[in-house]
Amino acid sequence: MAKTVAIVEDDPAIRANYADLLRKHGYQVSAFADRSSALAAFRSRLPDLALLDIGLVGEPDGGFALCRELRALSAAVPIIFLTARDSDFDVISGLRMGADDYLTKDAGIPHLLARISALFRRADLVREAPAEEEILERGELRLDMKRFLASWKAQPVDLTLTEFWLVHGVARFPGHVKNREQLMKEAHIVVDDSTITSHVKRIRRKFQAVDPSFAAIDTVYGLGYRWNN
Amino acid sequence: MALVALVLAPIPWLGYRYVKDMEAVLREGQEQALVGTARAVATALHDRPELLELRPGLAASGEVERILRSLGRADLRIWIIDRQERLLAITGDLRKKVNPEPPAGDALDVLARSLRPVTAHLLERPTEDFDDALPESQISGAGEVRSALQGMAGRRWRNSTDSRAVILSAAHPIWSGEEVVGAVVVEETTNAIRSLSDRTLEKVAAVTLLVFALGALVLLAFASRLSLRLRRLRDEAEQAIDSQGRVKKLIAGSSSGDELGDLSRSFSTALERLAQYNAYLEKLGGRLSHELRTPVTVVRSSLENLKMAALPDEARIYTERASEGLARLDAILTRMSEATRLESLVRESQRERFDAREVLRGCVSGYAAVFPDVKFALSLPDRPVWLRGAPDLYAQMLDKLAANAADFSSRDEPVRIRLDEKGALTVSNSGPLLPAEMPGRLFESMVSVRPEGSRPPSTPHLGLGLYMVRLIAQFHGGSVRAANREDGSGVVMRVDCPVSS
Repeated sequence: MAKTVAIVEDDPAIRANYADLLRKHGYQVSAFADRSSALAAFRSRLPDLALLDIGLVGEPDGGFALCRELRALSAAVPIIFLTARDSDFDVISGLRMGADDYLTKDAGIPHLLARISALFRRADLVREAPAEEEILERGELRLDMKRFLASWKAQPVDLTLTEFWLVHGVARFPGHVKNREQLMKEAHIVVDDSTITSHVKRIRRKFQAVDPSFAAIDTVYGLGYRWNN
Repeated sequence: MALVALVLAPIPWLGYRYVKDMEAVLREGQEQALVGTARAVATALHDRPELLELRPGLAASGEVERILRSLGRADLRIWIIDRQERLLAITGDLRKKVNPEPPAGDALDVLARSLRPVTAHLLERPTEDFDDALPESQISGAGEVRSALQGMAGRRWRNSTDSRAVILSAAHPIWSGEEVVGAVVVEETTNAIRSLSDRTLEKVAAVTLLVFALGALVLLAFASRLSLRLRRLRDEAEQAIDSQGRVKKLIAGSSSGDELGDLSRSFSTALERLAQYNAYLEKLGGRLSHELRTPVTVVRSSLENLKMAALPDEARIYTERASEGLARLDAILTRMSEATRLESLVRESQRERFDAREVLRGCVSGYAAVFPDVKFALSLPDRPVWLRGAPDLYAQMLDKLAANAADFSSRDEPVRIRLDEKGALTVSNSGPLLPAEMPGRLFESMVSVRPEGSRPPSTPHLGLGLYMVRLIAQFHGGSVRAANREDGSGVVMRVDCPVSS
């Protein structure tokens, strides 16, 4: 059975285009322009994944409220913010509302599809017992490559998909410096240097919340980042 | 000052008028007193013609002298003549014997006296050193004497023979029965009145001077307060806008209610609006990129849809060209929003202490890969250079400077990056010089001085790189300057960041 993806987006052209693209990739798509119609539909039937814009018809921050309401309906539904806004403030607000990832609209469909399929895979694996595990261990770090789960000193670290991919990109070859372009490729994003810096800062903070002495991600000025065992 | 002098001018004038009026009243009194004295003497001599008999060779009889002395006062000169205008008796002296000045009564007196050297030029002081001779003309020809001999009392003001004093004389007939047998003439100088009026005028002068001095002091204080505030406002206004035309800090509008306070408030408002406008301009890039994202997304998603459809080959060429254009547009948008994001990053970043040498070493070793055909030469001091700021941002700043230098470098010598112990970072490249017209504006948002065609069109240039350098330099408490090399062979960018102790 095809997975259902809900798109909530106020711009009709973008909404239709994304709906068409996702349909062509085999998903079943339902599209909404505003919060109330989307919420009504979610109440009668939950989608398998939701793509939310922040600005909705009549509500500049409607996407945040909708994300919170959807999260209240279901803790498991993957939610991705897909928006033109890219300020740190918006990213942090979106993720705090319980979204799984945050993507700017200039990311392009391949990056979006990578996230959608990854999140579906994770959702499936969480439901079923995994047949086989693919684990990457680097010292205290443990990355579950199938479920996209990270843990440090056996404590889970709540990373978004983008952050998980970034950590994986850095940690895969400890001691090697990964520059920003390489990391963007790993994380399926196209952003500027400052955004990578913000991402890395956020990741460090999440690890430090678990272990205040965390210092495994080194900044190599002018070059990139390095995993330090 | 002149205005105040004009306002204060009536004070001495009124004082002078008042003193003169008083003097006139006193003179009137003096006349009355003199006439009274003359009448009293004449009355005492009435009907005693024997006393007036002229005895040649003898002075006036003791009796007459006695009467004259008993009725006279000091400073009075009384003389008697008979009908033949012969002087029968004379007593008294017009000159004052001793005239001790009364001791100074109050502060005003003291001041008035201390001002005497000045006021002496303006006031003619009565002198006791005058010629008190009794001229012949006065005895025989004077009007009041003649009218007295004809039976009418008379009086007259005259000058002393040397004109140094004014003498008032009053004459009264001496009757013997129905016949005038002689005349009594009483004389007195006006010196007493004049010295009194002079003293009063001195006081008026003193008061005037005092008021002037006080007024001048108050004016001076007021004027210096005004000029102090004006100077402060001017300094603030000068400091408010830096050499690059940006509003550095706002003038705190003064709360005082006068015109100067008003001026400073309107300055403050004008600067605030200017700052808002500048901020709007600097944010314009970010906002534009944000607004453009939605239509760009429409184009991109449409193209992606098209690519999945079966298209004739001809159409595929065009979708590919459209994709290329879109990629370029994306690059522009990314650069525009990068500056905006950096602004917010700079606002939110925490400052830490770091060694700038380490950042430079890491960065420069990475440039070999990023700019394969440009060489970099790094020179660092032996001791650590501690700065306060964010090493990430410092590295980003160096990236921008290096990219700028690499773009312009003529490639025949390496780009020289140098840090000194005082935290001054210079990035110097040989190549074309800066255009003369905008050395200060290089570091503003969206200002580029690159000549047309100096870069391939696929890498858009928006003039944001050096603007970001400025933002980061300011975050580190520093400043940035661009200049041509002294020998004219290239350009030097210099960032001065204060060293943290």
